[in-house]
Amino acid sequence: MTGWRRVAGGTGCSADGHVPALRLSALRAGARHRAILVAGLCVAGVVGLAFTALLLGATSLPATRVVATLFGGGDPGEQLIVLGLRAPRIAAALLAGVGFAMAGATFQSLLHNPLASPDILGISGGASLGALVCLLVLGATGPLVALGAFAGAMGVAFVIWAVAWNRGLHGIRFVLVGVGVAYLCGALVGWLIASANVRVALSAFQWTVGSVADVRGDSLGLLTVGTAVCAGWVLVRSRMLRPLVLGDDRARSLGVRVNAARGELLGAAVLLVALATSVTGPISFIALCAPAIARRLVGHGSAAVGTAGVIGAALTLAADVAGQFAIPGLVAPVGIVTGILGAPYVLWLLARTDRRGPQ
Amino acid sequence: MCAVCVLALGAAITASLLFGTRAVSAVTVWQALTHPDAADPGQQVVTGLRVPRTIIGIIAGAILGLAGTLSQGVSRNPLADPGLLGMSAGASLAVVVAIAFCGITSPAGYIWFAFVGTAVAASLVFSIGRGQPARVALAGAALTALFTPLIGLILLRNTDAFNQYRFWAMGSLTGRDLSAVSAVWPFAVLGVLLALGMVNRLNLLALGDDVARSLGQRVGFTHAVSGISLILLCGVATALAGPLALIGLVVPHAARRLVGHDYRWIGPLSLVLGSTLLLGADTIGRLVVPNTELEAGVVTAFLGAPILIAIARSRRVAGL
Repeated sequence: MTGWRRVAGGTGCSADGHVPALRLSALRAGARHRAILVAGLCVAGVVGLAFTALLLGATSLPATRVVATLFGGGDPGEQLIVLGLRAPRIAAALLAGVGFAMAGATFQSLLHNPLASPDILGISGGASLGALVCLLVLGATGPLVALGAFAGAMGVAFVIWAVAWNRGLHGIRFVLVGVGVAYLCGALVGWLIASANVRVALSAFQWTVGSVADVRGDSLGLLTVGTAVCAGWVLVRSRMLRPLVLGDDRARSLGVRVNAARGELLGAAVLLVALATSVTGPISFIALCAPAIARRLVGHGSAAVGTAGVIGAALTLAADVAGQFAIPGLVAPVGIVTGILGAPYVLWLLARTDRRGPQ
Repeated sequence: MCAVCVLALGAAITASLLFGTRAVSAVTVWQALTHPDAADPGQQVVTGLRVPRTIIGIIAGAILGLAGTLSQGVSRNPLADPGLLGMSAGASLAVVVAIAFCGITSPAGYIWFAFVGTAVAASLVFSIGRGQPARVALAGAALTALFTPLIGLILLRNTDAFNQYRFWAMGSLTGRDLSAVSAVWPFAVLGVLLALGMVNRLNLLALGDDVARSLGQRVGFTHAVSGISLILLCGVATALAGPLALIGLVVPHAARRLVGHDYRWIGPLSLVLGSTLLLGADTIGRLVVPNTELEAGVVTAFLGAPILIAIARSRRVAGL
C-alpha cells in the first residue's frame, strides 16, 4: 500500500506524463541499487544476529572459543554446545523464516491481497490438522508428525487449488476458498484438542504454536535442501510477479502465460510453507509481516520477494533469541514471540501512516 | 425467496425443539410449550435445556449474520467477519484471562469478559483503521496475531486454564441458560436497530467512499455508527455462544446470492439465515454422534465452509 504510494509519488514524471527514456533507466538503476543496499544491510544484520545467537546460551563461552569451534577446533563439549545445539537451532530459525516470508510475499503479490498468508489461506491449518491427527489419533511421534504436517499442508493446498480452479485461478476465489478450508481445519483442530486427554492435548497444542528448539539431524537437512531449491526457484521465476501485479489482462498483453505462471509460483510458495511448517510448526506472522516490511523498503516485484526472505530470516532468529533470553526464567517458543513482537510493529506502522496524510 | 428462508428458520426451530440426545415425543414438546408441567422429566428437558438453547441459537445466529453483513458492507472487503477483524481473538484473550487469573469456571461467568474483550478489540481495530477498508482488515489481522500468542503463552503455563478454554473455544450453545440472554438483550436490540438503520447507507457506500461523500452521505458518521453496532452485536454473540467461526462470513455471501446487492434486503435476510444456519448446525450436532454431541462451532464450520466454497466457485463471485 505504502509502497505503491511511494512509486506513484516518486517516479519523477514530467507534468504531461511523459517519462524521458534516460531518466527511466536512471530510475531503474536507482531502484536496483536500493534493493541491493537493503538486501546487503539485511544480510549483514542476519550474520550479526546469528553470531550473537551462537554466543548466547546456558553455558557461557567466549567468542574466541566459539569461532575456533566453528572452524573445526574446540573440545568435544564445546563442539556439542556450538555445533550440536546452538547452530542447528539458528539454522532452523533462519531457514523457516526465509520459507515463510518468501511464500507470504509470493501469495500477497499474486493474490493482490496484503493479508494473504498461509494462516489465512488454511495451509498452516492443514499442517496443524495433519500433525494433530498423527499425534492424537494415530499416537505417532517424531518424523511421522512432520510427515503428517507436510501431507496436511500439501493436501489442503491441493484441495484449494482443485476447488478454486475454474478456467483460471482468480485471486479472490482462491482466497475465499482458502478461508473456508482454514475455518474447517481450525474447527477440526479445536475438536481434536477438546476431545483428547488433557495432557496429550496440551502437547499437541504446543506443536501448533511453532518452535525451532528441537530441529536437528535429518529434518534440518531436509529443510535446508528443500528451502534452498524452492527459494531459488521462486527467486528465479519471481520476475513474472511484476507483470502479474498489473492485473491479468495487462500481464497477458505483455506476453505472460498468466495461469501457468501463477500456478507455478503458488506451487513453489506452498512447497516452501509446507516444508517449514512441517519441521517447525506454524510460526505465526512472519509470512504477513516480512513482506509488508520488504515492500516498504524496496517496492514491489522480485526484489521484494528476496528482501522479504532475508527480513523473515532476521525476524525469526531475533524472535527465537528474544524468546530464550529476553526475560530470565521465561522461555517462550518462537511462534509466540513473533506475534507479540511483530504485531505491535504493524499496528504502529498503521497508526503512523494514518497521521501523516489524508489517505 | 424470503418466505422460503423464513420457513427454513421455522423448520430449524422446530427441529431444535424436537430432536436431541434424549428422545422426547412431539406431543410432550407441545405440552411443555403450552401446558408446562414441571414434574414431567420429558418436559423438563424441553423447557430447561432445549428452549434456552434454541433461543440463544436464534439470537446469536441472527446477530452474527447481521454483523457479518455490516462489516463486509462497511469495509467493502468480502473477507471481513468478526474473526478476521480481531474481535474473536479479543474475546478469547479476555476469557483466558478470566479463567487463568480470575478463577472463573462456568460459561455463564465468561459473558462479560467476552463482551468487554470483543468491544476493546473492535475499538482498537476501528480506531487504528480509521474506516479505511484495507487498514481495518490489516489492523484486525495484526491484533489477532498479537492476541493469539498471548493466549498460547498463558495456556501453555496453566493446564487447568487450557482444559477449560479448549471447550469454550469451539463455540457452543450448551451450558448457558436464559439469564445470559436477559443480561445482554438490550445491547443486542440496540445493535440490531443501529445496523438496520445503516443498510440504506451501505448501498451508497458500496460505490466507494468518495462517491458516497459526493452524493451527500456523511461517510464518517456511517463508519462510526456501524462500528458501534458491530461492537454491540459481536460482543453479545460471542458472550452467548463463544467464537463461532464462519457464520458472519458465509451468511452475507449467501444472502447476496439470494436477493442481489441491495443491502436493504441483505440486512434483514442475513438475520434469518444466520439463525437458521446456527440452529441447524446445533441440531445436527446433537444427532450425528450417538450418545454425545458435536459442538455447534464444529458443525457450523462443516456446513459453512462448503457453502462459502460453493459461492466462491460460482461465476458471479462476490464483487463488493
